[in-house]
Amino acid sequence: MAQGTGAMVARPRPPGLPSGPTTIARRVVGGLAMPLGSVVFAFVVGGLIVAVTGGNPFSAYAGLICGGFGIGCTQGENPALQISNTIVFLTPLIATGVAVALPFRAGLFNIGAEGQLLAGSMACTAIGIKFSTLPTPVLLPMVLVGGMVAGALWAGVAGVLKATVGAHEVVTTIMMNYVAQWLLRYLIIGGPLQLAAGTSKSLPIGPGARLATLLPSDNSLIVFGLPASVYRVHTGLFIALVAVAVFAFLLWRTTLGYEIRAVGQSQRAARYAGVSVRRTIIVTMLIAGAFSGLAGAVQIAGVDHNLTDKYFSDTTGFDAIAVALLGLGSAVGIVLAALLFGALHAGGSVMQSDAGISSNLVLVLQALILFSIAANFLGAMRSLIPGLRRPPGAPPPGNPAAALMTEAAAPPPEGTPSK
Amino acid sequence: MTALTDILHLLITANLWQATLAAAVLLLLPALGGVISERSGVVNIAMEGMMLTGAFFGVVADLAWHNPWLATGVAILAGGLMALVHGVVSIRFRADQIVSGIAINIFAAGLTVFLVNRIYGIQDVGHASQNELLPNFNIPGLDQIPFLGQVLFQQNVVVYAALILLVGVHIVLFRTRLGLRIRAVGEHPQAADTAGINVYLIRYGAVITSGLLSGLAGAFLAIGVSNTFVPNMTDGRGYIALAAMIFGKWTPFGAFVACMIFGLGQAIYDNNSIIHVSPYLLSMLPYILTLVVLAGLVGRSSPPAADGIPYVPGTE
Repeated sequence: MAQGTGAMVARPRPPGLPSGPTTIARRVVGGLAMPLGSVVFAFVVGGLIVAVTGGNPFSAYAGLICGGFGIGCTQGENPALQISNTIVFLTPLIATGVAVALPFRAGLFNIGAEGQLLAGSMACTAIGIKFSTLPTPVLLPMVLVGGMVAGALWAGVAGVLKATVGAHEVVTTIMMNYVAQWLLRYLIIGGPLQLAAGTSKSLPIGPGARLATLLPSDNSLIVFGLPASVYRVHTGLFIALVAVAVFAFLLWRTTLGYEIRAVGQSQRAARYAGVSVRRTIIVTMLIAGAFSGLAGAVQIAGVDHNLTDKYFSDTTGFDAIAVALLGLGSAVGIVLAALLFGALHAGGSVMQSDAGISSNLVLVLQALILFSIAANFLGAMRSLIPGLRRPPGAPPPGNPAAALMTEAAAPPPEGTPSK
Repeated sequence: MTALTDILHLLITANLWQATLAAAVLLLLPALGGVISERSGVVNIAMEGMMLTGAFFGVVADLAWHNPWLATGVAILAGGLMALVHGVVSIRFRADQIVSGIAINIFAAGLTVFLVNRIYGIQDVGHASQNELLPNFNIPGLDQIPFLGQVLFQQNVVVYAALILLVGVHIVLFRTRLGLRIRAVGEHPQAADTAGINVYLIRYGAVITSGLLSGLAGAFLAIGVSNTFVPNMTDGRGYIALAAMIFGKWTPFGAFVACMIFGLGQAIYDNNSIIHVSPYLLSMLPYILTLVVLAGLVGRSSPPAADGIPYVPGTE
């Protein structure tokens, strides 16, 4: 595109419209550059923070890589066990990542994945205790569906409030997070699910409510040098992968998915096209909540088998925001980002024990990744390099996070409540 | 019936209201910060992280220099620095302000515990002694007034400061030229820019002020109410402050009323041996009340028009 040659006024090409193979190739590279650049940025700044405070960033990151991927371990860690731990951590991140990414497409920001996950965990546990004698084919679907329904209701509150009175879903989902937090405390400290007085955990769910582990929990069977029972990878991994496939199918191959994307692009245009914006907002939040609730139910059914005070400080639903953003809201991206954050979580404890660097560095890295994606530091740096600078008349580069949620801050959908 | 009479008995004790005001101030400071920031058009859900940062650096400074006033200054600056990050990311880089806010909160939670580990080596930070804490101060004469004297005039110095700040913020926002500019920038930045107001300067100032106030709240929490730092000690107070800001419809006195209601809940919670409701169920109330307000059951509560929208000069 010639820029301002003589009196000729070049008609600006609409941004984001590919025109030819080179543009497509550049878009693919550009699409990968942003998430990778953000991760590199986070690790560089995180390394500086470690170095400034007198630590060795290289040994810290060596610990993270060993703990996350079982590579280069020096203190006798079992690589297979480390990889197994990473998979256990990444499983709930996939489903909650989807629960954040789907509303993004509709221009909604679901900060409530954590509360919805807890709602799912609580429903799963309650059903799993109440009907503990039922056999697996009956009880397992019951606890999983129960978790999905609970999560959907939790998110549905935000959806209905957004669609009817225009209450911002960010605020309502934050409030619902805390309602879930306190309900959880009530249930297992002095409430109906408490194991015994003085404990802060629930009764265990019945055997029929549990998801099988991939390896039999048999101490005599030795796999990769350790008893098979220490590997906690469970069939919930496949549920998570199905969930992310359902997400992609729903978004790109169904009418509802089209409506969700239309609402996200422009509520006004969607309305002219005959899409009910209110209905789409509510349905989107219900589905998102179901994904989160499923993640919570799977975590109980597959790993923990009861609610414990560990869930008070659970951050899966917040990690999911980073997963969805880093994965650019795509199915493959979400799985890859979940793998990264799963590995960081599993690696944190090894970093702490091997390198003496607090596992909380992982949170710092996560925050830095979020800053970098949100602020598009990479795009800003590119504009400082002369050869890559965009022409003066061109529109400002799209902000990836903002592009994912175009009308999140828009006023209530249909003016005044109808009926 | 007994539960009801127990609560009624509790409600007429000066102790309860004294504790209510102190708990309310802990929420009021970040809530005032939120009001200022959002009135200028920058969404701020990062009060939690700014407060936590203030609490941590306040304790570090207090343990190092044994001077609560100096430590409070450090805490205020630390909160302001965190806010500066939020400001640069959301104003200069036009980032999504909600993502930036979440990032600040995660960053603060991670960094503080990381630094505890680097500085003190163990999880336990150590405790400030009584004379290293922000003191209570009884206002001579006034503190002898029956009931009100104990509630209003036998408080921590930060409580008095917060009440003065409450009035100050109200006056600045609604009675001064600066306040008019802040509100103009939050409602219609294009028009404000045309009128010669520096939109970025106003927004940076407002965001940083919210951090300073949150940092002060952190100092009050760590070296006033408590005497040490524990990981995640703000425990959602920054988010309750956010709720109070919305509950109070983005006005200082509205936020104060909300903080008093939430503070009363906290004070009753702390006296939970007397009442027979699960304190955990009681703790849900601030959040549920805020949802009720948002549902429009108590009148509409809507944010400033340009809240959360980065300003790009020359756009409409």
